Amino acid sequence: MSFNPLEHRGIPLEDQVRSWRELDVTPVDPDHTDSYTKCRIITMNGIETEAIFFSHHFSRFCPDMDVRRQLAEVRYIEQQQQKTVNWLLPGQASVLETTLSYEQVAVDLTAWVARMEPDPYLTQAYEFGVLEDFDHLYRYANLYEMIEHRKAEKVVDQVTEVMPGRPTKLHHRHPYDNVRDPYDRTKAAPISKLHALTVMAAEQQTMNFYMNVGPEYMEPIARQLYQEIGLVEEEHVTHYESLLDPGETWWERLVNHEYNECYMYHSMMQTESDRRVKAIWELHLNMELEHLRIACELMRRHDGRDPESILAPELPTPVTFEPNKEYVRNLLATQIDLTTLGAGYVREAHERFEKMQERLNAGEKPSSERVIDEHRDMFSDEYRLQTEGPHPIRSLREPVGSAR
Amino acid sequence: MKTKQELDIVDLLIEQHARIRDLFSEVESSSGEGRRTAFQRLTRLLAVHETAEEEIVHPIARRTLVGGEGLIADRLREERDAKHMLAELDGMDTDDPEFMPKLNELRVAVLDHARAEERYEFYRLRGTFSETQRRGMAAALKAAEATAPTHPHPGTESAKKNLAAGPLVALVDRLRDAIRNS
Repeated sequence: MSFNPLEHRGIPLEDQVRSWRELDVTPVDPDHTDSYTKCRIITMNGIETEAIFFSHHFSRFCPDMDVRRQLAEVRYIEQQQQKTVNWLLPGQASVLETTLSYEQVAVDLTAWVARMEPDPYLTQAYEFGVLEDFDHLYRYANLYEMIEHRKAEKVVDQVTEVMPGRPTKLHHRHPYDNVRDPYDRTKAAPISKLHALTVMAAEQQTMNFYMNVGPEYMEPIARQLYQEIGLVEEEHVTHYESLLDPGETWWERLVNHEYNECYMYHSMMQTESDRRVKAIWELHLNMELEHLRIACELMRRHDGRDPESILAPELPTPVTFEPNKEYVRNLLATQIDLTTLGAGYVREAHERFEKMQERLNAGEKPSSERVIDEHRDMFSDEYRLQTEGPHPIRSLREPVGSAR
Repeated sequence: MKTKQELDIVDLLIEQHARIRDLFSEVESSSGEGRRTAFQRLTRLLAVHETAEEEIVHPIARRTLVGGEGLIADRLREERDAKHMLAELDGMDTDDPEFMPKLNELRVAVLDHARAEERYEFYRLRGTFSETQRRGMAAALKAAEATAPTHPHPGTESAKKNLAAGPLVALVDRLRDAIRNS
């Protein structure tokens, strides 16, 4: 089922502006929707948000008035796409429920990308990140039961397990060690560039979300946990964005962004179980084909290069939301004690790491630890969802005698 | 953070909202006798919960929150609509082909209503009253629940009407439940 987006014509740009009525989408049902449909909505919101901010930055650097106007025109459509996609989320869902879905995206999207990535250095970067988002899901799930008295499996279904990953308190590294080496734009496989853009966009949206919704809570533990995990998201965005080759031209980056949007909408279409949502993915793919055509034209004109020289001849295997339980368990068993040193990874805590930890903790437990303590005080156990047996790391199994 | 014994009125109500939401899922995913008993539990919880809110929480919110009058009028309207739907379902056979679509309407209405209460009423009460006060209200809420009717009675949304009609209909409801379960 090969699909080359360069060979398909999309919807003409002048026909893409939606009316208020068309923008007013009916949201999905908070309790009847496949958890992976919510994941796809959150992912595509992240992709559109990145497209918008990338275009704004490009415009600020671009002296050519015609190009600025062209960017503005496409960007307005992208804003409408973002409104359509993100407004599929239901108003009845709480901020914490949406947060649980964000972390489910971070686990199952990053795990899938790690499994498919051909470059071992990039694979390592994704594997490293998965174990941290996996731990965030567990911390937020405990907060959710404390505040909303409901179990996280009602939100994430049984498809993603909830248990400790690399403990969040150990994610706080010195920023120096968050910068990875970039891929080489002339040697990297096209799929590697798409992977990096996708995961960066998803993490960036998570960072933005926590930056803004965290203070909406009144409970001190909730406010503190959003601050703490929000700062880890800053590390993750630094980690993933540094994988992109800074030598790519603005035109090349624009083409990669538009191509990735085609790839992602095409991917989401393949597995979407909600008929109405699927129709939106299909419509947006048809809009993106035109955005890609425009970007390719700009690249030819201003970069003097053929976009075909940097793109894959057809769309790679579609990105799929599916359970990654065994894969994650294997990572837990083998990589839980990793941290970063410079652009690489080590197993021992080093001086820069220790100093940063001392500075942040200042002799106290961070909220990510206290949220579990407080959950135990309240319910006499932790919230976990272990569908495939006990935790692969013995020391992270729940203490005996804590069953409810 | 508090232990389970120290929950305040807002915790108690949010916990009930979560249970109501999960009970809807239980009714939806069961069939036959299982669905009938799950729906009985849902009806009882909804009826008791709404009455206790109307007797204890809403009057406090109406008197103390800025804009409380209009805020509570909106909530009472939602509660009356939901009670009408629930009363209709309460008289139906759970195997009736009309039952599930109507239940779904009620589910969405209850979900909307519960979130509106949490966002516009309960969280503001937390900002208005001390923890001790809120725990006192929790005790009052539990007392109101102990004598609340266990079936919906649309048209008795105000605290006064509830208190006037309450004890008698509650007694009748509880007798009805005892006979049903015997």
